Amino acid sequence: MILNVRKLCFSFVLLANVNALAQKALIAVGNQAPEIALASVAGDTITLASQKGKVVLVDFWASWCAPCVEEQPVLRTIYNQFNKSASTEKRFEIFGVSLDSKKPAWEKIIRKYRINWIQVSDLKFWRSPVAKTYEIEALPFNVLVDKTGTIIGINLHGKALEEMIGAALEK
Amino acid sequence: MKNFKQCMLLFSFILLSISVKAQTKVEPWTDAQLMPTSQLAALINDPKADKPLIINIGPQAVIKGSVDVGPGKEKENIRKLEKMLSKEDKNREVVLYCGCCPFDKCPNIRPAFSLIKEKGFAKAKLLNVPKNIKTDWIDPGYPVN
Repeated sequence: MILNVRKLCFSFVLLANVNALAQKALIAVGNQAPEIALASVAGDTITLASQKGKVVLVDFWASWCAPCVEEQPVLRTIYNQFNKSASTEKRFEIFGVSLDSKKPAWEKIIRKYRINWIQVSDLKFWRSPVAKTYEIEALPFNVLVDKTGTIIGINLHGKALEEMIGAALEK
Repeated sequence: MKNFKQCMLLFSFILLSISVKAQTKVEPWTDAQLMPTSQLAALINDPKADKPLIINIGPQAVIKGSVDVGPGKEKENIRKLEKMLSKEDKNREVVLYCGCCPFDKCPNIRPAFSLIKEKGFAKAKLLNVPKNIKTDWIDPGYPVN
């Protein structure tokens, strides 16, 4: 009888754990980065999957988010630094996803900061499904993805971001 | 040694005064003028309730029935808000909201709320969106446009 109760308890604990695992965040280091397929400024759809084989920084930002805009020149430096190699083939990419709602505001910042990496948006502000998929609670937010599409860093900025990109490129 | 102690004392006073100043930062709204999201959602969902004028002063008019003025940090939008308010009864309840970012980082709510106060709207409210419109309005399933 005691053994049966123990077995029952064990099953409950096991079930609770499975349940907790199921509710665990999708956006975690070691997980595959969910697909993003959104329109560029020109209107053509660009997918995150199309960047497989490169180390990709998925940068979630918006023109209305002051700290995000302030970070753009830093990202520009990082972008140029990791794409300076003699090889013409790009090994690092930034996949900028804007949570803007109005196209002119988005375009203005792209022009002002001479952003020359991928930029996509559905112009749906906080209602963008990508905000839900990527479990974004606040901006700025970013996810670093390795050549296989696996998340290797979440919300890294400055030196920590540079080091992680460098390490991922060497692999 | 005495000098060191005096220095430390002075330093503590400076720190204390900075923290007191930070705590007493005056906002254009009072606590009573902050409307809870649940209260506004209930008003929108109640067909018999008198609806307040709900104005978006942020990036997008997310809330059901709200009118779009645009980010309050832009002078052009403040002029738009002024024009809109000039047609309204000053006793009407008006709810402003943004929801781009937490209150302390939002560049839009202060210029807009200062204007509505200046125009003498007795029932002016600011929607209490402490984090952003996703977490505080969309995620709980409140009505959207």
